[in-house]
Amino acid sequence: MIEDGFLTTRLDAVANWARSNSLMPMPMGLACCAIEMMAFAAPKYDVARFGSETMRFSPRQADLMIVAGWVTYKMSHAIRRVWDQMADPKWCIAMGACASTGGMHRCYGVVQGCDNFLPVDVYVPGCPPRPEALIHALMDIQEKIRNEYSVTKDFESGKARDAIAPVRPRIVTPDGDGIISPSELHDQKARHGHTAIHDKNP
Amino acid sequence: MSSERKSSPTTLSFHFTPVDRAEEQPDTENPHIKETSEVSETITALKERFGDAIEDVTIYAGEFTIRIPRKEIRVVCAFLKDNLGFNYLASLAGIDRFTEKDRYEVFYNLVSMSNNKRLRLVARIDEEDLTIDSICDVYRAADWNERECYDMFGIRFNDHPDLRRIFMPEDFEYYPLRKEFPLLGVPGSLPLPPQTPEAPLTLDPFPAAHGRKPAKSFEEEAPSE
Repeated sequence: MIEDGFLTTRLDAVANWARSNSLMPMPMGLACCAIEMMAFAAPKYDVARFGSETMRFSPRQADLMIVAGWVTYKMSHAIRRVWDQMADPKWCIAMGACASTGGMHRCYGVVQGCDNFLPVDVYVPGCPPRPEALIHALMDIQEKIRNEYSVTKDFESGKARDAIAPVRPRIVTPDGDGIISPSELHDQKARHGHTAIHDKNP
Repeated sequence: MSSERKSSPTTLSFHFTPVDRAEEQPDTENPHIKETSEVSETITALKERFGDAIEDVTIYAGEFTIRIPRKEIRVVCAFLKDNLGFNYLASLAGIDRFTEKDRYEVFYNLVSMSNNKRLRLVARIDEEDLTIDSICDVYRAADWNERECYDMFGIRFNDHPDLRRIFMPEDFEYYPLRKEFPLLGVPGSLPLPPQTPEAPLTLDPFPAAHGRKPAKSFEEEAPSE
């Protein structure tokens, strides 16, 4: 067996890896944001790189709802119904100003943010957001999934465990042998008024 | 700023367009006037046929608006369609003028495809009796427009084949485009979906702002506040 090589891992890590790299979005395109959502799935921005190119128009096969556009009170019941038909585990992105807060539609017929009836995981600002912003939201969802506990929780008798440090993009120091995390950068800036990167080129 | 620039601002001009009565000499200076809205021949024909029933004719930017009593609307539309070639109803909607008398107004934008002319008909409706005859049997296009007008203002169209609300839910109690209706709506009049499976409909329009997070699914409990 050792000759063939083997790999050890956690079950959660495998499940989260599989889930996060094969998200199937349910496109809830309600307004102009849906056009940007189409660009997000189309070849130029190519969300297939993240394994999410299969837009599923059946809620039974989808696990990520992208609410793109303004939600009326009349539509909100239909959206909640579609959401309830999606199988667990599932995630939700509120795309654009209107889906997040009601946006410019401050009037009687429009719900002031779809988080009033949906558990939203990621809010995307913009009117409409560019496809890159939606890709960033998708990456945030992926990061959230990678840090979830689903199987291990049973072995821990439901006890809450500390979350794994989130996988953030790393910034390499100018000399190339260190790594600065964004939170460190923020701390340095708060303490010294400048960052380590700026130290090299004052 | 150079002096040359100050001396030559004459290329910019603004033409204010006031609402005029129909006159013998209409305003010909206005750059917005279009050939298609010149319908004085139609108005002469209408006056010959209906006489005093033509209450008022106004001109705005060369566009003629004919006011008629609401009892006559079906007959006038039928005459315009059959005899004067106005074969297309572009739109129809209501206006809340918010006056003591004749509070509501319904306007009809008619187009003659053959003669390339446009005409606007207007009928005023008093609050006491919010009804007007439907013109669905003259113009089939009026069907959904009249439903919208009923939905938004509560104006009833007599003999409409299917007068229901078209945008708002059927059990909605108000008419949202009336002036007294608040822009943000009446709280509780439009319910949101339930926050949990067993809960009733959410009547609070801002549950998220009041610290409520809806349940992710039927299996999971809603997160505590």
